[in-house]
Amino acid sequence: MTAQDRGIALRRPSFGFYAKIILLVLLALWMIPEIYMVSVSLRPPDKSFDPSLFVLPITFDNFATVLHDNPLYKFFWNSLVITLGTVLVVLVAGSMFAYAASVLRLRRTTLIYVTLLTTLMVPVASIVLPLAIMLKSFGWINSYQGLILPYAALGIPYAIVIIKAFMDDSPRDLFEAAMIDGCTTLQMFSHVALPLVKPALIFVAIWQFIVTWNEFFLALVVMNDGEHKTVTLVPMQYSGMYMANPGALFAILVIIALPLIFLYIFVQRYFIAGLLSGAVKG
Amino acid sequence: MNKASAVESAKKLQLLRRKSLVDRFPYLYVLPATLMFVGLVAYPILWVVGESFRGANGKDFVGFGQYIRAFSDPVFWRVLRNMLCWGAITIPVQMILGGSIAYLIERHTSRSRTFFRVMFFLPVVTSVSVISIVWAQMYAPYYGIVQEYLKYIGVQLTIAPLGEPNIAIFALILVNIWQWTGFSMIMYIAGINNIPSELFDAALIDGAHGWNLVVRIVVPLLSPVTRSLLLLGVIGTLQTFPIVHLMTDGGPDHASEIFGTYIFKQGFVIGDTGYSSALSALVLLLALGLSVLQIAVLGARLTPQTRKSAA
Repeated sequence: MTAQDRGIALRRPSFGFYAKIILLVLLALWMIPEIYMVSVSLRPPDKSFDPSLFVLPITFDNFATVLHDNPLYKFFWNSLVITLGTVLVVLVAGSMFAYAASVLRLRRTTLIYVTLLTTLMVPVASIVLPLAIMLKSFGWINSYQGLILPYAALGIPYAIVIIKAFMDDSPRDLFEAAMIDGCTTLQMFSHVALPLVKPALIFVAIWQFIVTWNEFFLALVVMNDGEHKTVTLVPMQYSGMYMANPGALFAILVIIALPLIFLYIFVQRYFIAGLLSGAVKG
Repeated sequence: MNKASAVESAKKLQLLRRKSLVDRFPYLYVLPATLMFVGLVAYPILWVVGESFRGANGKDFVGFGQYIRAFSDPVFWRVLRNMLCWGAITIPVQMILGGSIAYLIERHTSRSRTFFRVMFFLPVVTSVSVISIVWAQMYAPYYGIVQEYLKYIGVQLTIAPLGEPNIAIFALILVNIWQWTGFSMIMYIAGINNIPSELFDAALIDGAHGWNLVVRIVVPLLSPVTRSLLLLGVIGTLQTFPIVHLMTDGGPDHASEIFGTYIFKQGFVIGDTGYSSALSALVLLLALGLSVLQIAVLGARLTPQTRKSAA
């Protein structure tokens, strides 16, 4: 770099500087709904209809009220059981299938694979009615398995795509060595294949967790008693009750939104790592 | 786990050698995923197709009656128009916004990179039912902040966006764009990071800078991501439900009706299984048809294959 170049750099900020300004302005706009949500939840009742983004003074009374009046922990428990159950089923069934198709290369698995992939093109709206009727006939309305199994069935194909791509990229000789050493297929699955695709498994687990936790349509149809509702159904339930008191309603919204936001901030490192290690490719 | 330790642990297993059930019947590995597909995806699809040829009560056979009814139903055409609008706006806007944000973050930030990546992705992580209520409040007349802040840039909103038949669908589309741009961004971030750095360096040496670099090098190299976002966008559009159900419920007077809300109303509120099934079969046909078309013609993938095609 010559002295002249350096002089220009000193007088004129580089594009990197403007890029950060653009990003910050865009981000400020992007965060308005999230900031507004928190802002309304912190307002005293007489200020909740104030049409501005920030209102002072702030109060935590709304949180005290809604936590005192409503058993919200129940909905979190339901969502947690259903979400973890779904993630577990998706990981187990998805990795088993990927292993059979990619490592064992069983006959006709490619055909089954392509058939399973059509799931990803099926809008939930189109199968929600038969699913509801089926679950009703099994007596699975208002039960955990009534949501876990359909969620898993819809999530498994994507998991297979990701995990299979990872296994396809793993060195074949590892598996051959394990085979020569006399591993059974199950040992090779749990001790060779699964450790190799760990970033893919973590990526799938995080994504499936987010999608399942926030799913609305099936939850609306399957869970209709107060005991089994998941957290996504809660805002709708309270929006009528707290119509005249948005502060309290928004306190509930914050309580519902924050755990997943914090969880994502906590695991985003692994999510991005999975993404960049090539989890997202066919 | 690295290669050596994987072999190591595999060797330890010799000691535990034992033929298990799955070794004798290896198709057991395929069974759980396949069974769940057959029972919870394939069967419902067949049910919907079968039921679409029946009357409201699910008994009388009416042939293509329900389909003829759909094609002469003005609400059905409204739904199609709204879905076309939805896809034609959300998909390109989310791509361009998400792609630009991704490029600015990946090329021009270093220490703040994680911060920006996380913040723009937060709406994707926020529950859609929370988002819907927050936005409904923001759009509200008299006390909503949307009309309040539009005043500052000289726009006097005289109507409530969600209550106006011609505006409602666009107000909902804006919410969708806000929620899902972060997803496009994260996909493009993966794509940008999969571009081999030698390609960048070569382009820089050849004198490609700024806008030239973006248009000639980055955009073409990211086309696998763009194609899979198009595919996911079309499916996502036909999937749309909670935003509309919670914010307008397809109203006012069916103005913002979409497949999700209309099928839900026919099937669960009115209880007309025949018509609901015909609508379901139509949206299914549309989703599968458009997907297969994109895969065949554009070579679109459900997940982008950036690294291989770039090499």
